[in-house]
Amino acid sequence: MIELNVNGLRHLLDVPDDVPLLYVLRNDLALNGPKYGCGLGECGACSVLVDGRAARACSVSCGAVSGRRIVTLEGLATEDGLDPVQEAFIAEQGAQCGYCLNGMIITIRALLNENPAPDEAAIREALRYTLCRCGTHVEILRAARLACGLDPAAMPR
Amino acid sequence: MSKDVLSRHEDAGGYVAVTRAPAQPHGMGAVKRDLSNVPDDVFVVVRADEHVVGYCGHVDLGTGIATALAQIVAEEMDVPFSWVRMELGHTGSTPNQGATIASETIQVSAIPLRKAAAQAREVLKTLAAIRFGLARDELHVLEGVVYRGEGTRLASVADLLVGVRHVTRFDEDVALKPRSAYRIVGHEVPRVDIPDKATGRVVYVHDVRVPGMLHGRVVRPPYHGVEHGRQVGRSLIDVDRASIAHLPGVVEIVTIGDFVGVVAEREEQAIAAAQALVVRWRPVEMPDLTDIATALRNNPSTPRRLLDRGDVAAALDTAARRLDVSYLWPYQMHGSIGPSCAVADWRGGSPVVWSGTQNPHMLRSDLATLMALPEGRIEIVRHEASGCYGRNCADDVCGDALLLSRAVGRPVRVQLSRAQEHVWEPKGAAQLMEISGGIDAAGRPVAYSFQTRYPSNVSPLLALVLTRTIDADRPGVTQMGDRTCIPPYAYDNARVVVHDTPPIARASWLRGVSAMPNSFAHDSYIDELAAIAGADPLAYRLALLPDARAHDLLLALADRAGWVTRHGPRQPVDRTARVLTGRGIGYAVYVHGAFPGVAAAWAAWIADVAVDRQTGQVRVLRVHVAQDAGMMVNPAGVRHQVHGNIVQSLSRVLKEEVTFDETGVTSRDWGTYPILTFPELPEIDVLFMDRPNDPPLGVGESASVPSAAAIANAVFDATGVRFRDLPLTPARVKPALDRALGAYVAPEPAPVPLPLAQRRMQGRPALRRGLRDLLNVGVLAAAMFQAASTAWPVRRPIAPVPRPDAASFTPDEIARGRVLAAAGDCAVCHTAPGGVTNAGGRALETPFGQVITTNLTPDVETGIGGWSYAAFARAMREGIGRDGRHLYPAFPYTSFARVSDDDLRALYAYLMVQPAVTHAVPETRLAFPYALRPAMAGWNVLFHDPTPYRADPSRSAEWNRGAYLVEGLGHCSACHTPRNALGAEKRGSAYLAGGEADGWIAPPLGTRSRAPVPWTVEAMARYLRQGHDAAHGPALGPMAPVIAEMRALPDADVRAIAVYLTEDASRAAPPAPDAAAVSASALARRADAALREPAGARIFAGSCAACHEGAARHMDGNRPDLALNSNLQDARPDNVIHAILHGAGHAGEDGRGEMPGFRTVLDDGQIASLLRYLRAVNAPGRPAWDGLTARIVALRAHHGGP
Repeated sequence: MIELNVNGLRHLLDVPDDVPLLYVLRNDLALNGPKYGCGLGECGACSVLVDGRAARACSVSCGAVSGRRIVTLEGLATEDGLDPVQEAFIAEQGAQCGYCLNGMIITIRALLNENPAPDEAAIREALRYTLCRCGTHVEILRAARLACGLDPAAMPR
Repeated sequence: MSKDVLSRHEDAGGYVAVTRAPAQPHGMGAVKRDLSNVPDDVFVVVRADEHVVGYCGHVDLGTGIATALAQIVAEEMDVPFSWVRMELGHTGSTPNQGATIASETIQVSAIPLRKAAAQAREVLKTLAAIRFGLARDELHVLEGVVYRGEGTRLASVADLLVGVRHVTRFDEDVALKPRSAYRIVGHEVPRVDIPDKATGRVVYVHDVRVPGMLHGRVVRPPYHGVEHGRQVGRSLIDVDRASIAHLPGVVEIVTIGDFVGVVAEREEQAIAAAQALVVRWRPVEMPDLTDIATALRNNPSTPRRLLDRGDVAAALDTAARRLDVSYLWPYQMHGSIGPSCAVADWRGGSPVVWSGTQNPHMLRSDLATLMALPEGRIEIVRHEASGCYGRNCADDVCGDALLLSRAVGRPVRVQLSRAQEHVWEPKGAAQLMEISGGIDAAGRPVAYSFQTRYPSNVSPLLALVLTRTIDADRPGVTQMGDRTCIPPYAYDNARVVVHDTPPIARASWLRGVSAMPNSFAHDSYIDELAAIAGADPLAYRLALLPDARAHDLLLALADRAGWVTRHGPRQPVDRTARVLTGRGIGYAVYVHGAFPGVAAAWAAWIADVAVDRQTGQVRVLRVHVAQDAGMMVNPAGVRHQVHGNIVQSLSRVLKEEVTFDETGVTSRDWGTYPILTFPELPEIDVLFMDRPNDPPLGVGESASVPSAAAIANAVFDATGVRFRDLPLTPARVKPALDRALGAYVAPEPAPVPLPLAQRRMQGRPALRRGLRDLLNVGVLAAAMFQAASTAWPVRRPIAPVPRPDAASFTPDEIARGRVLAAAGDCAVCHTAPGGVTNAGGRALETPFGQVITTNLTPDVETGIGGWSYAAFARAMREGIGRDGRHLYPAFPYTSFARVSDDDLRALYAYLMVQPAVTHAVPETRLAFPYALRPAMAGWNVLFHDPTPYRADPSRSAEWNRGAYLVEGLGHCSACHTPRNALGAEKRGSAYLAGGEADGWIAPPLGTRSRAPVPWTVEAMARYLRQGHDAAHGPALGPMAPVIAEMRALPDADVRAIAVYLTEDASRAAPPAPDAAAVSASALARRADAALREPAGARIFAGSCAACHEGAARHMDGNRPDLALNSNLQDARPDNVIHAILHGAGHAGEDGRGEMPGFRTVLDDGQIASLLRYLRAVNAPGRPAWDGLTARIVALRAHHGGP
C-alpha cells in the first residue's frame, strides 16, 4: 500500500512502489492533466508539482513521493478560481493542440513559487526542457510573461 | 446517419436541420465507396433551445479550426457566436469530407457548411413569414432574432422553433451574406477550446477510459521504420511466452504475422511485459540511407513532366554563366509531443474505436480491411490528440488496439512509446532537387530546368502490412512530390520534372508536403543567380514575379523589415570576426492538392542570422514574415497558426534530421531528434496584408514554405558560403566555413583555468587496474592447497540448539543489534529481489562464479535458528558455517572479524528475534578450485586476519569509531578495495583504493578519491545520510541500498564514518577547487567537445540536460552536475554506462535520485558518442575511454538483455 497526497486528498493505493507516478495519477486517480510524452523526463508533458516544485511524473516512482504534496493541473484552481497562471494561458491563448500545455503551466507555476519576479531569460530557461511541437512558443511566452507580472505585449509578435 | 444524428436533437423541443445526400469524398486518402445505403449527411442543426450544432468531416488538429468554423456558421445564420458548437470528424455523425490535409478546411470544407447555415437562416425567416403573414423579403435575422424592416422585433429562434421538426435539403445556390455585412467572421475570437485545455478538462484520445479497459503495448519488428519488402510480415520466428510468465497482470500475448502485442491489466504491467518479452526475428535487410542523395537518385522513378516552356536545352547553350546545382532536404518527423494512442472495443464484431485520427473515414476503411468487416459495422469516435501536422501513427495505433481487443474480447487501450512513434511514424520524406540553369551577360536568367525526387506514399496502416492483410512487397507510389514544383518566377525557358518514387523509409505527408523542399530549391537558386549577377536579391525577384499580390507582399515586407538594397553579400566577410551576421529573403505561394493544385496564402520571409565561426552555430535572431491570406475568418487564429508555422519551420531548418544506420531509423527520442527550445526562439514579426474582400485562403502551412531558403540565403549573406542541404547544424556548418574561410582563430586564446585537482591529474599515466595482473593464479592456488592441507584442517560442526527464546535477550541488546544489522547491510545481500528481508536467495556475481546468499532468518531448518551464539560468532569471525564448512569470502567475515564481542552478541540477539521464514536457497556452486570448500582454509591462512579492531590512540574517538564501523561491520573494503587473483582484498596502500561490486565500479575512497571537488566531512556525511551530495552526486547501483540500510544508523555514527573516510585526504589536499569553478570550467569545454562529438552533444542536450544541467531551482530532484561526479573521472566508463542503460532507482531518504534507463532508446554508437562527449567535457586531462562499444554491449547484458 502506498499513500499519496494528491490535490489535497490522501489516497491509499495498492500498487508497487516502483510504479511511475504518472500511471498512478492517470489510471488510478483518473487525472488527465499530466500527459505521457516520452517516459524519459525529456519533454515535460507529464509535469506535476511536488512540494511546489515541478517534477516529471513519468520518471518518478510513486514510492519516492509518498508523503509529499502532489498537485496536478486539475488541482491548481482554488475556491477563488483558476490559478493566475492558468488565467494567463487562457488570456494569451497559450495553446494550439494543448498537449504540452500541462507542462507549460506547471513549470511556470513552479518557477513563480521559486522566484516571484523572473525576467524573460529566466522564463525561457525554465521552459527550455518543456517541449512544444506546434510552435506555440510565442503565445506561451506571452502567457508566461503575463503570469510573471511582465508585459506580454513586450514580446515580439 | 442523419436519423441517428437528428435523434440526438429530440430533446431540444424543436429544430431545423440542413442535410444532403452523401457525396464521394475527395482528396488524399479518399476512398470511393458504395453510397446506396449511406444515410444523408447533416451539416447544421438549429435548436429551439438556442443551440446550434455544425458538423464537419474534417478534424481539429490543434489549429483551433473549430473556432473558425463556428464563426462561419454564426455569421451566415446570424446567431450569437456562443450558440454554436462544432462536431468534427466523428464517423457516426459527420459528413465524409476526406482527410484533413493541405490546409483546405476553410478553403474547401467550410463552403457547404456556410451554405447550410445560410439556408437555416432562410428557413427561420420563412417560419416567421408564415407565422406573421409577411413577405419573407421584408425580414432579416440578427443575433438569433427575426426582425421586420429596421427594428420591429418579431420572434426569437426559440419562439419560432418550439414544436418544429423540419429537415431541409441542402441548396447549392442559396444566397450568401455579402462580406461587407460580416460582424463575426474577420474579427478576433478567442479559441473556444483553450479554457478546458488549461484546466485538464479536455478528453484527449489519450484520456479515454472505457469500463473494463485493459492496457496493450506492441513490439515492433526489427526493420525499423520501413514498411515494404518481402520481409515485412514474414520476419517473426517466435515469441517466448515463458519469458514473461513471471510478470504480474499479463492477460494475453498476440502475434499475427509480424504484429506482436501484449495485453495486461495495468499500463505499467503492459510496458514491463512488452520490454521483457523475448521475441526472435529473422535477420532483415535494410535500405542504405547513409547517403540520402544517392539513395534518392537510385530509387526507381516515374517521371512526370509538368512544365515545358520555351526551349530549355537551346537556352542553356546561350548562358554566359551556367549554374547546375542540387539541393537536399533531410527526412524529418512530425514529432507529435504525445505518442499516438487509441482505445478499441471489439464488441463481438461491431467495434468502436476511439481515435485521434486525421482521417476518420479513411481509417474506418482501413480497419474494415484489417478486420474483414463491412465499413458500416465500425464506429470511429474522434477525440482531440497531440498535434500531428500530417500523417503520424494516429491511425496505426487504432489497428493495433483493435487487433488486441479482438484477441481478448475486452476494450484495450494502446499507447505507443516515444521510441515507437519516432521510429515508425511515416516521416516527412527526404527530397532531392536538381536544377540546371544560367544567366546571360546582362545577368538575366536564360533557362530553368528543375527536377525533384520525392520518395513517399500514403503509408498504409501498419497493422495491414505487418499482418500481411495487404501486399507489402511493392510499395505504392503517390503523386505528392509536385506541390509548389512550378517556380513562381517567370523563366522564359523552363522545364519541371517530378519523379514519383516509392518510399525508402516509411514516409507520408508532413506540413508543407514537398513544397517546403521544392521552394527551398527555387528560392535558394534565385538567390544564387542574383548573387552571381551582382543584383539585389529582392529587386531580382520582383523583376521575375508577374503576380501583383506577390509584389505588394514583398514590398510591404521589405518596408517593414527595413530592407537595404545590396549587390551580392551585403558586406565583405570579415575573416577576423568570430560572429558573422546576415539577412536573407524567401518567397513562396504554397500550392497544394493534386497538380496543378490550389494556391493557399502567399508568404514571404526576411530572416536575420548570426553565424558563430568558432562553434558553427547558426542563430536566427529575427524573422519578419508577411502573409496574404485574403479575408481572415479569425485573424487571431490565423496569427496563431502563422506563428506555429514559423517556429516549427525554424526548428526543421536549423535542427531536424532523421538519422539512419544499417538497422533503420536511429532517432528514437528528443536527444537523437532535437527540436527548437524556448531559449532559441528569435524575435518574430508578422505582417498581414489587408484583404477583407478577397476569398479566405488556407493558412495551415503557407508561412512554413519560404523559411528554409530565407535562412540559407541569410547564412550566405553572412558568410559567403552557400548551404544546399539541411539542417544547418554546427556539424554541417562549421566544416564548410572552415573550408571556405579558414579555421577561425581567436585573437587572444584565453583558456579557462583548470581547477587544481584536475591540473594535478594532467599527464599522470592512467591507473592500471585489473584483478589478475599482479599475481599468478597458479602459484597462489597451489599455495592455498598447501596451506589447507597442513595448517588448518576442516572444522567441526557445532551442534544445533533450539531457537533461543526472545526473553533471553535484553531490549537494549536487540535495539543495538538492529542498528548494527543496518551498519552491516545484512539485508542488502541476504534479501532476494522482491523477496522477504534476510530470507536469502540473492545471486551475487563474483569473478569466481555466482554466490547465492543464505537465509539469515531464525528458521531452524533453512535459516540460522539452530545456531548457537558460538556458531554465529565463528561464522562472523572465521568464515566457518555451523556445519563446519567454509564460507566464501563474498560473505565479508574478513571485515566482520574486527567487530567486538559485545556488538556481535547484540547482532545475534536482533537476528534471533526476527520472524522466522522457511526459505531453502540453492547451494552456491563455484567452479574448481573454489568448489572445494576446504580449500578456503588455505585461503584464510593466506588472507584472513581474525584480529579484532584495536583503537589507534593517536586519533580521536570519533575517528576510531568511524574506523571500527568502516573496517568492521560496514565492510566497505569488501567492495572498495581491489582483490587479488584469489578474491582476497589487497592490503596496505591498496586498502579502499577502489574495487568492484556487482558489475559496478566501487570508486576509490579517502586520499585516492577522484572526486573533482575533494570530499569534506560534511559532504560525506550528507551523502551517506541522504544518498546525495550536490558537489559529488548521487549514490547509484549497489551503493543505493547501502544508503537505504544506513538510515537506521545514528547521525553520530554516520559522521564518524565520514571523519574516518575524509580526514587524511583533507589534511593532504592542497586548497580545493570549489564546485562552481569545476562546473564553469566544464561548461567552457562544451562547444569544443560538441564539435568533436556532435551526436553526443545533441543527445546530452535533448536526453540528459533536462535533469543534469543548470540549477533549475523550480524543479524537483537533485540535478546531479556531471562535472562533479567521480564516475566521469574513473579510468573505466562502467558506472556511467550502467546509469545510462538501466537508470537509477530512488535512493536516500529524499527519494530524488531517480533516472530512467535509455537502453531501448539509445543504441551502442549513440551511447559511445555521448560517453566521449561527457568524458571530454567533464574529465579534462584524463585519457579518452577506449573499447566503449564492447563495454556497452557487455553491460547491456548485465541486467538481462538489451
